[in-house]
Amino acid sequence: MKRLALYILLELFTSQLYATEYAVVINKNIESLHLGQIKAFFLKKTSYLGDEAIVPINLSSRNPIRISFEKKVLHMSFTRLKSYWTKQHYLGHRPPISMKSQASVKAFIEKVDGAIGYMDLKKVDGDLKIVYKWSD
Amino acid sequence: MLKKLLIVLVLVSALFGVEYQEESGYHLGEGTQVGSLPLYIGGYFSVDYRYKESKSRYRIDDLAFLAYGNYNKLSYMSEFEFKEFYTLSEEESGFTTNQDKSLHVERLYADYNFNENYMLRGGKYNSQVGFWNLLPINVLRDTTSNPISTDIIFPKFTTGLYASYTSFNEGDLKIDTMLQHNDDFDSDYNNYVIDEHYALGVTYSKDEFEVKLNIGMFDNYMPNNTTQNLYYILASMKYETEKLQVMSEVGSQSATDGFTTEYAAYLQGVYRLSEEHAAILRLESYDDSYNDTRDDIAIFGYTYRPLYPVALKAEYQFHSISLQNQFLFSFSVLF
Repeated sequence: MKRLALYILLELFTSQLYATEYAVVINKNIESLHLGQIKAFFLKKTSYLGDEAIVPINLSSRNPIRISFEKKVLHMSFTRLKSYWTKQHYLGHRPPISMKSQASVKAFIEKVDGAIGYMDLKKVDGDLKIVYKWSD
Repeated sequence: MLKKLLIVLVLVSALFGVEYQEESGYHLGEGTQVGSLPLYIGGYFSVDYRYKESKSRYRIDDLAFLAYGNYNKLSYMSEFEFKEFYTLSEEESGFTTNQDKSLHVERLYADYNFNENYMLRGGKYNSQVGFWNLLPINVLRDTTSNPISTDIIFPKFTTGLYASYTSFNEGDLKIDTMLQHNDDFDSDYNNYVIDEHYALGVTYSKDEFEVKLNIGMFDNYMPNNTTQNLYYILASMKYETEKLQVMSEVGSQSATDGFTTEYAAYLQGVYRLSEEHAAILRLESYDDSYNDTRDDIAIFGYTYRPLYPVALKAEYQFHSISLQNQFLFSFSVLF
């Protein structure tokens, strides 16, 4: 029994140690964002922060970081998001644009004022501002 | 005629029957952009069948086209629709047909977003009351029928101004107001003929829960060319997880001399058996003093969505007024 408890504790510790960390990042011109705003921008409930147009960028639909972002940050599954965007089409809203690689997302955010995206924490450098972190 | 129209609808479904086309980026149910213009187009249609009092009715109900887009802080939405486009009804003397070729303006408005909190709208729009009336089209509903409460308490459409304040925090808070002080745009296409509508709404959502309260007043044109001020209140709640959705709306309507609808309410549960299949139970009750009608209804429904924007729905309604018992089936697509 003791061995089993030790094993579970060790598993928990190592899974935390090696959990992949991700970050929601923004262009440096944006002050800061909280989780409620991040969700609102990616679900296109609003597209402005003050006078600044906010441009959310997704990774492609099968990308594991996007799947993790949708599950852990938006708290929505792929299926639920499909129905959400179908309803939004009727309401006149479009889903965020998608890019194939984290490098493209990073380059876009650096270049475009108001851009917001997410990527592996290890890929983030001083050209981007981290506003939220999560792990698998 | 009916056959030709059905063939056209089947062809349209086939045309848009590709869920995802990598090359063009087209997803069924999300419309498509016209070139690089700030213009997206799409639409929807529905056909339905009803069996009631031993009689059948076949109908092409909706055939609608959407066009919308945005430019900086300004966005627009337009929706034009043929309603009850073709109806084939079984009568004692045989079958009768009816066609309504009028193209109605269902929505036509422009929005201006001041910032992340404030928005102003002008034009004709779905009255922002409750949850059901925000997404009222067949393909986005879980049943072919609409709850009675969504038809008798408040005007479905408003032509005028709409303003909202939304705060996005741990929970989202929205306060909105609707103002109409003019004739309806396309007044034939509303459940009430109105020239005034003033209303206030408060919505709060957090995680899986959303609650909403609406109060309002509108001026209803009566058949004898007089008008009547009607007041309404509607409380709504929604709970939604991946598998389950529970939604309820309870409302009441009154005139200066008493209730016109003492109460009208529904409670609906949708259980998603899988991505494609859902089972629905809806309980309704209302007391319409104006038409002197009171009914309790239990509706059992089943929906199959091979893709989310394509819905095949069947339901059976048990009414306390047993003559109203009926079976409904529909096929609808959003493209």
